[in-house]
Amino acid sequence: MLFYLSHLTAELSYYPIFVMLMSKNVTIRNIICHPMGEMMMNPKEQLNKVIDNIEKVIIGKRDIAELSIVAMLSHGHVLLEDVPGVGKTMLVRALAKSVGADFKRIQFTPDLLPSDVIGVSIYNPKDMEFNFRPGPIMGNIVLADEINRTSPKTQSSLLEAMEEASVTIDGVTMQIPKPFFVMATQNPIEYEGTYPLPEAQLDRFLLKIKMGYPSMKEEMEVLSRSQLSMPIEDLQSVISLEELLELQRQAKNVNVDDTIRSYIVELARQTRNDSYVYLGVSPRGSIALMKSAQAYALLKGRDFVTPDDVQHLAKFVFGHRIMLRSEARYDGISAEEITDRILTKTKVPVQRLVGQ
Amino acid sequence: MKSIRKNKAFMAILYVLVFLLLAEWLTPVITLTDTGHKNLFLLFIGISLIMAFLQIHWSISAGVKVFFILWFLIHVYTDSAVFSFEALGYILFDLQINIEALFAQDWAQTTDIFRTVLFFSLLWMAVYLIHYWVGFRLSIFLFYILTVVFIAVLDTFSPYNGDTAIIRIMVVGLMLAGLLHLARWLEGHRINETLDRLAGFIIPLFIMVAASTALALYLPKAGPIWPDPVPYLTSFSGEGGPGPAAVGRIGYGVDDSELGGSFIGDDTPAFRAEVEDGQYWKVETKDIYTTKGWELSEPVADPVLYSNGDIIETEFIPGSEEESLTAVLEMEQDFPFVLYPYGVESIQTNGEIRYSYSANDQKIEPLLSGAPYEPDNVEIQFNEPSYSLTGLRETTVDKLAELPPEFDRYKQLPEELPQRVRDLAAEITQNSETVYDKAQAIENYFERNGFEYSLTNIPVPAEDQDYVDQFLFETKRGYCDNFSTSMVVLLRSLDIPARWVKGFNEGVQIDAETGSDSDIYQVTNNNAHSWVEAYMPGVGWMLFEPTIGFTGASQIDFDLDVETPDSEEQELPERPERPEIEEQDEAAAAAAVDNGPNFWDRTGDFISANKGLLFLAAAAFLLLALALFLKRQKWMPKILVPYYRRKNGKQTFEKAYLRLLKQLDLYGIKRQDGQTLMSYARYIDSFFGTREMTRLTASYEQSVYGGQPETVDWHELKESWENLINRTSS
Repeated sequence: MLFYLSHLTAELSYYPIFVMLMSKNVTIRNIICHPMGEMMMNPKEQLNKVIDNIEKVIIGKRDIAELSIVAMLSHGHVLLEDVPGVGKTMLVRALAKSVGADFKRIQFTPDLLPSDVIGVSIYNPKDMEFNFRPGPIMGNIVLADEINRTSPKTQSSLLEAMEEASVTIDGVTMQIPKPFFVMATQNPIEYEGTYPLPEAQLDRFLLKIKMGYPSMKEEMEVLSRSQLSMPIEDLQSVISLEELLELQRQAKNVNVDDTIRSYIVELARQTRNDSYVYLGVSPRGSIALMKSAQAYALLKGRDFVTPDDVQHLAKFVFGHRIMLRSEARYDGISAEEITDRILTKTKVPVQRLVGQ
Repeated sequence: MKSIRKNKAFMAILYVLVFLLLAEWLTPVITLTDTGHKNLFLLFIGISLIMAFLQIHWSISAGVKVFFILWFLIHVYTDSAVFSFEALGYILFDLQINIEALFAQDWAQTTDIFRTVLFFSLLWMAVYLIHYWVGFRLSIFLFYILTVVFIAVLDTFSPYNGDTAIIRIMVVGLMLAGLLHLARWLEGHRINETLDRLAGFIIPLFIMVAASTALALYLPKAGPIWPDPVPYLTSFSGEGGPGPAAVGRIGYGVDDSELGGSFIGDDTPAFRAEVEDGQYWKVETKDIYTTKGWELSEPVADPVLYSNGDIIETEFIPGSEEESLTAVLEMEQDFPFVLYPYGVESIQTNGEIRYSYSANDQKIEPLLSGAPYEPDNVEIQFNEPSYSLTGLRETTVDKLAELPPEFDRYKQLPEELPQRVRDLAAEITQNSETVYDKAQAIENYFERNGFEYSLTNIPVPAEDQDYVDQFLFETKRGYCDNFSTSMVVLLRSLDIPARWVKGFNEGVQIDAETGSDSDIYQVTNNNAHSWVEAYMPGVGWMLFEPTIGFTGASQIDFDLDVETPDSEEQELPERPERPEIEEQDEAAAAAAVDNGPNFWDRTGDFISANKGLLFLAAAAFLLLALALFLKRQKWMPKILVPYYRRKNGKQTFEKAYLRLLKQLDLYGIKRQDGQTLMSYARYIDSFFGTREMTRLTASYEQSVYGGQPETVDWHELKESWENLINRTSS
């Protein structure tokens, strides 16, 4: 503590950050461990360092890493959908390690109860009162593995915690420490004994990402790297949680011009009018697209959103928010294809809106 | 970079040419306005141009000009040759008067000095503008076109003859335009050339202009295909009349065989009459109506000659007032006849003058030893005729039949006269018992039946049309000729003898002669008039005034009806007028052309006559426009590059960028609807092997999506933009 104070007096510029972090319930340890020099870097460099770090572990999935960071920067959560063994868990762990975040993992099984996720109050006979034992959800980065395997009740408890960023037990509301980022995985292959997430709840995820297999070259690289030791063990954090929080704030300040807003809204409206679509993207989906585009712009080192950002993210934001009619399934049309089609036919705004 | 503008020799040539062009403006103005000292004005222009050329500081230049103007004013308007206090004081005093006049909007009060100053200011401004066009814009085309139009208009519509001026202007203008184009070209491509090298361009230009001018002068000139537009234009503007040489004006004329057409007023003084009351001044009468106008029949008797002071016997018996009245006419125009009032008794002029009175046309012509004489002053004794009301009441219709055959010529009517005119006369007079009542009914008919007095837009009757018929049934508007002729014809169709009288009405009273009963009346050409005399059986000839707004009508008393040609002052809004065409041949010709179909009809005729040609021209024009439109990708950059190069400002870059997008689209690289600018830019760059489109696009995105147009530096991006847009035209 004394050391911290002396440090504080030496570097006056710490002060506002300190206050800011104190108010967010962050431990002092983090500040001492991460000198200010790194905070002076621009967002693009910082985020690229994170991505590079992740790439050390996950080969050839730079875009997935980017999307994860985008979701994290815009206070969102990610649903990873893919077969087991493509590195979903590894990605999340690498991300958590890179930002020095508290990593928790919940393996969802059919018998998992809500209290196993959010925590439980246990009577302490010594103190004659109930003590709260936090569940695995109370972490910075949470991997919710195979979320579709558990009962809807448990799923709901997770999704509610994700939405509120807090848990309520016995009438007591507990804030989940920030940053809070949930990456849920879902296995699309095994349907036996699964409880697919309802569409309305899918909306809680900012992005839905598919990992996909690595290419041959990439997979060979994976093998060679894993020969001696798992690279994940050697991974060091490259930015601090505080820096991450600051980046989150910066993402909010990325400029979204009216032209871009109108473009986003137009895209969302198009999904509602498509003949294959049973239920289009909600306004929450439009917000999600805007927020993720802001984060993506920040990642690309810009302080304003371009239509390219929107186009890049639309597939991941809209994919799980579009409910298709059965005709689409017969015609073999996926929600991603619908999104692509809408992107192709919607005019990109290239001029300042009239009256601007 | 050394600009062509810095090349003194080159610019000197330009300024000399500009001087010549300005001189062409000055010459017609000076000629037409009868302004003197043309050389001094030219000197002013010359000095101004030299100072502009030498780029003398504006304060010095303005000082020199003001000094020159002052010197001019003193030199021209005062006798003192040098600057003196008196002269300056005079100028200042004059200025003061003029400023007061200006504020009072009393334009007539402004003096010549002031107008000269204004003219100098105008020249000053013109020189400044030209200097700007030539020295900065390197462009003269607009001024050149204006000069040509100016000279062409003056040549067409004014006495100024621009035959040689237009050739000089063409030569000078072509030279100027060629040199300025060269200058712009050099600037546009940032080429520096010495005058020696430039001579390689300039000399061929001189030769080409000289050769084309010489060829043009040598070639035969075709006559005009279209008729002279001036009479046509004037008729269209409602100011009908003969051609440019003689504008149709009101006045006293001789020929009345073709009546009709519009007239403009003319207040040229004719004479002044000093007389107790305003009179109708009679000149002559005419008796043959030709359906188009009036002619005079062959005289049946020789004219009677009278000397000064002799009692002249006219068909009007002087009144029985105790004392005769005296009228003194001071002639301001030369008339070979005497203007006499009703009831004339005797005439007195200076010299051995005899007066020939012809009963045929009632004209009194003064003769000096047998030759027509134009008196300057005429003194006339007269006594206004009076008519007995009882006599007038006895003018029964059956007395008309008993009239001797001498009156037959006053009953003449053309056979072509439409029946409806006769029917109208019968209808008007059906309730009138006596001849006098009938005449009165006709006299008053016009006022009560929607007729209108007007000098303008009065047609000439067509070939098969009757002048009176046209007025009575179609136009219902006209001036004294229409009314008086119509009344005569209507009277004659009832077998009442009537004739058409020409002369002047009373004019305007300008001054009351103090100490006597006489007033002075100014009679101008506007007062030329025509009216009616009708014969009342048993009473004699009487004056009738059918024209609306004129008060020459008889006043009837209880038992004694005094026919007073005019006894009242009148200030009518429209002065009595007797329009006359002075140059009848031209007038007739012009009238026939002018008052025929109107502008739109003629346009329609022209179109229908040249349908094929017009269609071809329109088709060619459309094809040309279409070709230009389709090829716009080729020529647009040539316009866009200089346009945007000069432009600055926040919006410029965005506009230029969007323009570039359009050009690229025309070039064939289409951007899909869903394609973002950046991906399009990458494609463009990969297509052209450049990186500029990406650069521009990044800036554009920053400007539009980032909402930070101020961060974009158009100057830095200009080159990239020009590079790309030029690629699209290749």
